[in-house]
Amino acid sequence: MALRGLAGSGLSSRGPLDEAEAGAEGHEAPAVVAAGVVLQDDEEDEGRGRGLLRWDGFSAWLHCVCVVGFDLELGQAVEVIYPQHSKLTDKEKTNICYLSFPDSNSGCLGDTQFCFRFRQSSGRRVSLHCLLDQFDKDLPVYLKKDPAYFYGYVYFRQVRDKTLKRGYFQKSLVLISKLPYIHFFHTVLKQIAPEYFEKSEPYLEAACNDVDRWPAPVPGKTLHLPIMGVVMKVRIPTCHDKPGTTQIVQLTQQADTHISVILPTVHEVDLFRCFCPVFLHSQMLWELVLLGEPLVVMAPSPSESSETVLALVNCISPLKYFSDFRPYFTIHDSEFKEYTTHTQAPPSVILGVTNPFFAKTLQHWPHIIRIGDLKPAGEIPKQVKVKKLKNLKTLDSKPGVYTSYKPYLNRDEEIIKQLQKGVQQKRPSEAQSVILRRYFLELTQSFIIPLERYVASLMPLQKSISPWKSPPQLRQFLPEEFMKTLEKTGPQLTSRIKGDWIGLYRHFLKSPNFDGWFKTRRKEMTQKLEALHLEALCEEDLLLWTQKHTEVETVDLVLKLKNKLLQADREHLPVKPDTMEKLRTHIDAIILALPDDLQGILLKTGMT
Amino acid sequence: MMAIRELKVCLLGDTGVGKSSIVCRFVQDHFDHNISPTIGASFMTKTVACGNELHKFLIWDTAGQERFHSLAPMYYRGSAAAVIVYDITKQDSFYTLKKWVKELKEHGPENIVMAIAGNKCDLSDIREVPLKDAKEYAESIGAIVVETSAKNAINIEELFQGISRQIPPLDPHENGNNGGIKVLNSSMPGTRPCC
Repeated sequence: MALRGLAGSGLSSRGPLDEAEAGAEGHEAPAVVAAGVVLQDDEEDEGRGRGLLRWDGFSAWLHCVCVVGFDLELGQAVEVIYPQHSKLTDKEKTNICYLSFPDSNSGCLGDTQFCFRFRQSSGRRVSLHCLLDQFDKDLPVYLKKDPAYFYGYVYFRQVRDKTLKRGYFQKSLVLISKLPYIHFFHTVLKQIAPEYFEKSEPYLEAACNDVDRWPAPVPGKTLHLPIMGVVMKVRIPTCHDKPGTTQIVQLTQQADTHISVILPTVHEVDLFRCFCPVFLHSQMLWELVLLGEPLVVMAPSPSESSETVLALVNCISPLKYFSDFRPYFTIHDSEFKEYTTHTQAPPSVILGVTNPFFAKTLQHWPHIIRIGDLKPAGEIPKQVKVKKLKNLKTLDSKPGVYTSYKPYLNRDEEIIKQLQKGVQQKRPSEAQSVILRRYFLELTQSFIIPLERYVASLMPLQKSISPWKSPPQLRQFLPEEFMKTLEKTGPQLTSRIKGDWIGLYRHFLKSPNFDGWFKTRRKEMTQKLEALHLEALCEEDLLLWTQKHTEVETVDLVLKLKNKLLQADREHLPVKPDTMEKLRTHIDAIILALPDDLQGILLKTGMT
Repeated sequence: MMAIRELKVCLLGDTGVGKSSIVCRFVQDHFDHNISPTIGASFMTKTVACGNELHKFLIWDTAGQERFHSLAPMYYRGSAAAVIVYDITKQDSFYTLKKWVKELKEHGPENIVMAIAGNKCDLSDIREVPLKDAKEYAESIGAIVVETSAKNAINIEELFQGISRQIPPLDPHENGNNGGIKVLNSSMPGTRPCC
């Protein structure tokens, strides 16, 4: 990957002055040492000793930047890709082309921002950035990168222009990234796109250069990201943050947005604004998302469809939504056939669409959300009851939720009242969002705590860990055993909501979200067991053991220990800090006690 | 207890006059003979003490190349100060400087502090721009002027100290919104007094 930087980017090489600010405020975080790169934290010496080759900084944040225009003969076409050496397959380019423009005659006059997500072409080398892998482990599970998908963040401009043959200027500036930092990239685009459309090429070059000099996207640190004359300050959450809190440190108050902008969040969307058209049904939608039910959002424009889909995926946080979701999906998408086939049951996905054609194509889907134009804060669309699916006519059906789904839980009238009161009192949308987000968080936590508790009980006892046996296995997850725990320690402990919780759990255990969640937990716990096992080994007198065993067994032990060390390193096993060092000392001591010829071989033997 | 204020500063001037070298000398106390042309702009920060305030300079070092000229407004927009640089051995660069001053007067922030730096004063034997010309011009537009050498570290600190002094101090009693107040550790590493 590093070599890519050498392959004719067409731009001049990095000079020493490019060692721009690493962005760390001197007083917050320890220096990060990663792969030979030292990010200096000293306020007075913010230059970053960058051993990185050109564009490595850029690719930690973005895969590439595309400009998609409309060609009278070709239709939508990628006009510019930056950096020029970025790789996109033809299929990916086609997807980007269609997904960067409104799908139908949905107007969108003026500027529109939205987001899409598309599948990486198969056969492409999984392009995980070597540095980022390390950061990924500290991210909350719902912000981890998905190796199979890209996000596209779009700023689309459509204005009348008589000088053009088509009569309209239509162009999109698109950021392609693996990072799901919706709000952040939305803000970046808002910052750079309008001026890009006026200034064109050198502008893009300058903007990409700025990104290339950004510090790496390390979770948990306040990052200072200069872009086109403005410094953006963001903090990427970590998995250690308390859910529902924001922790951006504001060292200076700066009212002037021409100087710096502080982002309270990188990934959250304005929940209330998105749920507003259907907020009576918030809790039912939460159930549908939790259960991974096929869900389609039909919206008047890509910005509404993408925001709503992202809000849905967001509402079960801190749980990760494990199925596919497409904030904006078109009939040209390469998965169109796969997802709309009538020969199989609808897949577990959430699609956001704008083309009226979908009303017909997806009429067999069990749950459909139809929204009108999102209103600015303060106005609220008339709330309507859940509608029967058969009432969904092909084209101009009214906004609402169309489903025959019967929620498991009784609706929480409190939250509805609270939000309605907020609307009457003209409470700002952000404040409403905070309330709604907290409500969803409490609901999700009430739901997940019993599962967490039960899964924790599957961990073998500490005393069953023996250094001389392989680490013990986790006990099996038995649904009936889990259900029994609900009587005493179910969600009734933390939630006032009544209803068929058992039914909800039974359904959930069959869903992709449970599958994904449990796999993650199992992996963490297995690693914990490995770590404890390793620690137990370190506490043994290994040298004494080797004296009682044959040379062959000793050599075998050394090789095994070396492999353990490598595994611990690779998988970032959660061992106590000095464990690895202890183990190395053990290995060295054992090797030194062996005959000279063996010592030579074992010292040289790399770990396999 | 000190107030920390972010001050946006931009560097403008003809290509090759030494803008990046001045910033590099100021921020890192370092000089590189083979510096490559800036793309767009590069960004660095440095905090200096000034009276009872800390000035955190957010320095936007712009590209001198003509093709990036149209981007300049983004860098001087919101700037508290502009350092306009010319090369004392190149008369042309002094003309370009005047063009920048004109643009700033027309489109820049109203109270922007202007500082003129005649760089490469270590090469005064091949000088084309007399110091007198620069001083007269600076006076006529109300700007600070100083001859500098990024190479020999002459007057670089002084240039930024001069800017700091021209920035009106904040009265915290009068206006709490304008610049933030934040308690910092008493020892700011490497902070040098400027007033």
